[in-house]
Amino acid sequence: MSAANGIEVVGLVREYRKGPRAVDGIDLSVAPGEIYGFLGPNGAGKSTTVHVLTTLLPPTAGTARVGGFDVVKEGPKVRSIIGVALQEAALDPLLTARDHLRLQATLQSVPKSERRARADELLERVGLADAADRKVQGYSGGMKRRLDLALALVHRPRILFLDEPTTGLDPQSRTALWEEVARLRREDGVTVFLTTQYLEEADVLADRVGIIDHGRIVAEGSPAALKDEIGRPSVHAIPCDERDREAIARVLGRFGEPLGSTRDVAVRLREGVGLADIVRALDAEGLTLLDLELRAPTLDDVFLAKTGRTLEGAAEEAEVEPGRGGV
Amino acid sequence: MRRWNVVSGVAWRTLKNALTNPQILLPTMLFPLFFFTAFAGGLSQVSKVPGFDFPPGYTAFQFVFVLLQAAAFGGVFTGFGVARDFEGGFAKRLLLAAPHRSGIVLGYALAALGRWAITAALLTVVALLVGMEVGGGAVDVVGLYTLAMLVNFCGYFWAAGIAMRFRTIQAAPLMQMPVFLVLFFAPVYVPLSLLEGWLRTVASVNPITYLLETGRGFVAGDAPHVLGAFALALAFGCLFWLWSFRGLRSAEAAGA
Repeated sequence: MSAANGIEVVGLVREYRKGPRAVDGIDLSVAPGEIYGFLGPNGAGKSTTVHVLTTLLPPTAGTARVGGFDVVKEGPKVRSIIGVALQEAALDPLLTARDHLRLQATLQSVPKSERRARADELLERVGLADAADRKVQGYSGGMKRRLDLALALVHRPRILFLDEPTTGLDPQSRTALWEEVARLRREDGVTVFLTTQYLEEADVLADRVGIIDHGRIVAEGSPAALKDEIGRPSVHAIPCDERDREAIARVLGRFGEPLGSTRDVAVRLREGVGLADIVRALDAEGLTLLDLELRAPTLDDVFLAKTGRTLEGAAEEAEVEPGRGGV
Repeated sequence: MRRWNVVSGVAWRTLKNALTNPQILLPTMLFPLFFFTAFAGGLSQVSKVPGFDFPPGYTAFQFVFVLLQAAAFGGVFTGFGVARDFEGGFAKRLLLAAPHRSGIVLGYALAALGRWAITAALLTVVALLVGMEVGGGAVDVVGLYTLAMLVNFCGYFWAAGIAMRFRTIQAAPLMQMPVFLVLFFAPVYVPLSLLEGWLRTVASVNPITYLLETGRGFVAGDAPHVLGAFALALAFGCLFWLWSFRGLRSAEAAGA
């Protein structure tokens, strides 16, 4: 596929000098107009992949085509059709938001006659109209991210790369950004490649999700399909008395396989088991609980099933393993 | 056209920052003025040394050095800005937005020239106000400023090459020190003929000496080895231009 708005990656590898393989032979394809969620813990290789796809970093091996253009051989063409908001907003603290938009529009060759109107429109859209003439050094983290998004949209890109766009945002700003991304796809047909470590974000926004761990894609599909793959729900129990933990685990163990990595006592239920059966069994043993919850499979369950770790656990692991490519 | 948009965008942003933030512009303007007043004023008696032969006087003699020094350091200071942009991450925005990345390097070069032009104008006004005599005609004056412009490009392209290889402001001494040494191992206070010992030997092979003599000749209206000086400045300009573009490739390979 080399569709005008699509992304196609084959065998992509990126090695850092004296470092590990941050990206280790990934294949993926994103259809035009699709929102593709790239999910994984810190250091999994998400940002490195984005850097390669946006021509910021050359691949060590493999090929990648963005909008039909090869990222190595046709870098200028790729850059002219993509918009990028990186994990850390690349802003000049001494410039105002309006200055940034003017600069971005100039760099992207937006016709002079359109620049002012386009800047006003975007400032309004991201809620920065009132702060447009203030220097960025006084902006909050959320304001910087919103400006970064506006900058990525200046030249009406066909493909948008958002690298952890909601990290550090308050819930209200996060929801607003999700709505904006959904609107871009719905109304403008923009293809969105979104990296995130938030399960909810991938679940809400993405048509398809690729889960990356240690530089490799371990699962790919629509959030619903991935969860269906895991299939069965799980039951999570919090004991009233910690001393009952083992007994509760023994009882729950009769109804499914234990989920060792979770903080409560939990099992993935076998086919045909209902919550009522479990409650009766616990009651018969005289065990009391603080909470008992039946959970449908989540993307974290998918991650757990594919990697043997929870996404949260993997993130903590990445923090104590700084040698891995964390770009 | 797209490349020009990148050049003009980068230059506009760099100049806007310089013109609206005194902490950026003032040092590049004040240092040359300080050097000029200190050298031309405080050392004016040097012109009475036997064998010192420069008809327009010591003020003009020093003016040429300070003009070339301001040009070189104006370029180097712009290189500092390039390094800061890479260190702070802003360069990523430029690399991602610019279809043609060579325009980024040239945009900073245009900004360096703009910054130096402001300093040069101020320096010239001050020099004329304190009574600098100019023996050369309009062509000589154009020659002097063109030569200084080439020195500005050399200083900038040299520093930009370092900045893009190291991508940190900590590389600033590496950008500045060689330029500082080359400038001050030239006949700064007296003509080459009055220098003695190892300094004379070093100054004789220092390319800046050649440019300085031509520049001073322009002010005196009797410029020696004009073609050689321009050829030398152009050759170094091309060399450092290549050096800076290789630096850009190095930054691209490292992912900025």
